[in-house]
Amino acid sequence: MTLSIANLKAGYGKTEVLHDVSVPDIKGGAFVGLIGPNASGKSTLFKTLAGLVTPTAGSITIGGDDVTLLRRKDRAIRVAYMPQAYGCNALLSVFESVLLALKQTTGWRVEAENLDRVSDTLSALGLSHLADRGIADLSGGQAQMVAVAQTIVRAPEVILLDEPTSALDLHHQLSILTSIRNEMDCKKPVVMAALHDLNLAAKFCDRLVLLCEGTILADGPPQHILALPEIGWTYRVETDLEQTRRGVFYVDARLTG
Amino acid sequence: MTIDVNPAKMRRAYVTQVSRRYGMIALVSGLLALSFFLDVATGPGKYELSIVFDVLTDPMSHGVRLKVIVWDYRLPVAITAALVGALLAVAGAQMQTILNNPLAEPFTLGVSAAASFGASLAIVLGVSVIPAVGPLLVTMNAFVFALFTCGFILLATRLKGVGSETMILFGIAIFFTFSALLALMQYMASEDQIARIVFWMMGSLSRASWEKITLGALLLAIAIPFSLLRTWPMTALRMGEATAESMGVDVGRLRVEMLICISLLAATAVSFVGTVGFVGLVGPHIARMLVGEDQRFFVPLSALVGALVLSLTSLISKSITPGIIYPIGIITSLIGVPVFISIILSTRKERLS
Repeated sequence: MTLSIANLKAGYGKTEVLHDVSVPDIKGGAFVGLIGPNASGKSTLFKTLAGLVTPTAGSITIGGDDVTLLRRKDRAIRVAYMPQAYGCNALLSVFESVLLALKQTTGWRVEAENLDRVSDTLSALGLSHLADRGIADLSGGQAQMVAVAQTIVRAPEVILLDEPTSALDLHHQLSILTSIRNEMDCKKPVVMAALHDLNLAAKFCDRLVLLCEGTILADGPPQHILALPEIGWTYRVETDLEQTRRGVFYVDARLTG
Repeated sequence: MTIDVNPAKMRRAYVTQVSRRYGMIALVSGLLALSFFLDVATGPGKYELSIVFDVLTDPMSHGVRLKVIVWDYRLPVAITAALVGALLAVAGAQMQTILNNPLAEPFTLGVSAAASFGASLAIVLGVSVIPAVGPLLVTMNAFVFALFTCGFILLATRLKGVGSETMILFGIAIFFTFSALLALMQYMASEDQIARIVFWMMGSLSRASWEKITLGALLLAIAIPFSLLRTWPMTALRMGEATAESMGVDVGRLRVEMLICISLLAATAVSFVGTVGFVGLVGPHIARMLVGEDQRFFVPLSALVGALVLSLTSLISKSITPGIIYPIGIITSLIGVPVFISIILSTRKERLS
């Protein structure tokens, strides 16, 4: 299974946000980090891939099928998208909220295998102790991890995560991304995550795509991308790519001037 | 340090929770059956409960007089009370989900005010919006105006950039507009007409009839399966519009479909009994406290609680002063509000402790 994005143009009304975006040949099992400054079009790219924004040109194919032709519901079976975190005051437990995400694409009746899937997902993400907690009572970080659970419980071919770690502490940033990697090892979906933390991106991603003002500036392996001068000028900082003694790359950034 | 719960235990906890919810539905159904029976058994003429029960199971068992009292007078009133309570509560529950606002219900969105104006138009000017309806003039006018208001709300949701807060503001604007128009009608009316308008607005079950019951039951029989089919997308909507959309729910379409359904329910209920506020608010609220917001349980239980509340109201309205039946609209507010507030406050205390 391969995800390919070719010559994609999309936007809202008359404003075009994505100009001719192409990300070819993303293999199943690849963790792609989407990086770029605020308002560079990362969320719009995700929404377009998920079918919430209709592209004006270009194609999105999964395993050779053009998914832009699919109906909303059929598309949701293949592509799962986690929007940026929003609060919510519903009287639902964490277990129920993950179950409802699964039930959008699996028929009306709650089957035993649905319950297994929900409990396994919660355990895999280390959320089992929150299962019967009300979602309105969660902290920002917990709510974000539940949103990740709602996305991966559906076991889609493509998982899109919009800033999955923005509200998490250091421990949970590492643990959630590790859990996602573990999940990917057995099911081999494509995972694309918008990340602001370039060091996390360097650590977890197989491939980085740098988006700026709706255009792809660079696309390749992390150590290659993060060493480019483009990183410095898109983020308006000065950067150096360093390597720790253990061989992990990290970005050392300073304000320019 | 957090303690991990094993998956089997998590699953069992959920299954237990679900069976508790079925139990809750059974319990409220039982209470409704009891309240309904007492409602039929209560009235100006006093009869033994066992006699009333006999007449219910076999109409002619105690003669024609009792058959007429039970079957032609009391039963339609009791059924209408439960039915209208269910219609209003389901409409309220769905409005609250769709507009993401716990205050939404037919009354707060101006549907009742519009119906009252429609009724007053018929009473004062004899103007009918649908020709040749004869004796149903007042009911029909109320229905058309209620439906028109729902349609207006529906259209407003289709406008770009109209969020759920704006919808509530629209509702309040509608409420004031029709209240003003109603006041104008009352200003123009004769004393006799004013009395009729006021009586209509207070809400009364005395306008019950088997035809209305059939129509209402039919609507409910369509509306409940219609909403149950959309139960998972509707539950997803409680996670917020953006999240629901990301899960593949076509939120715009879901809103329109549900609003059409709700409009029919609300307009029918209001045109049958006049203004009965509060049931559309309290029914879903109590249901939510009992079973949460999984719509598979929330919608049916809202219907049951709404039915129970109005059935009890009907019972109380006959019991306060023997021989006098007070308008239910007054009773729901006077007795319901303190009860409701005490429920809210007591659950709040539990949460804090």
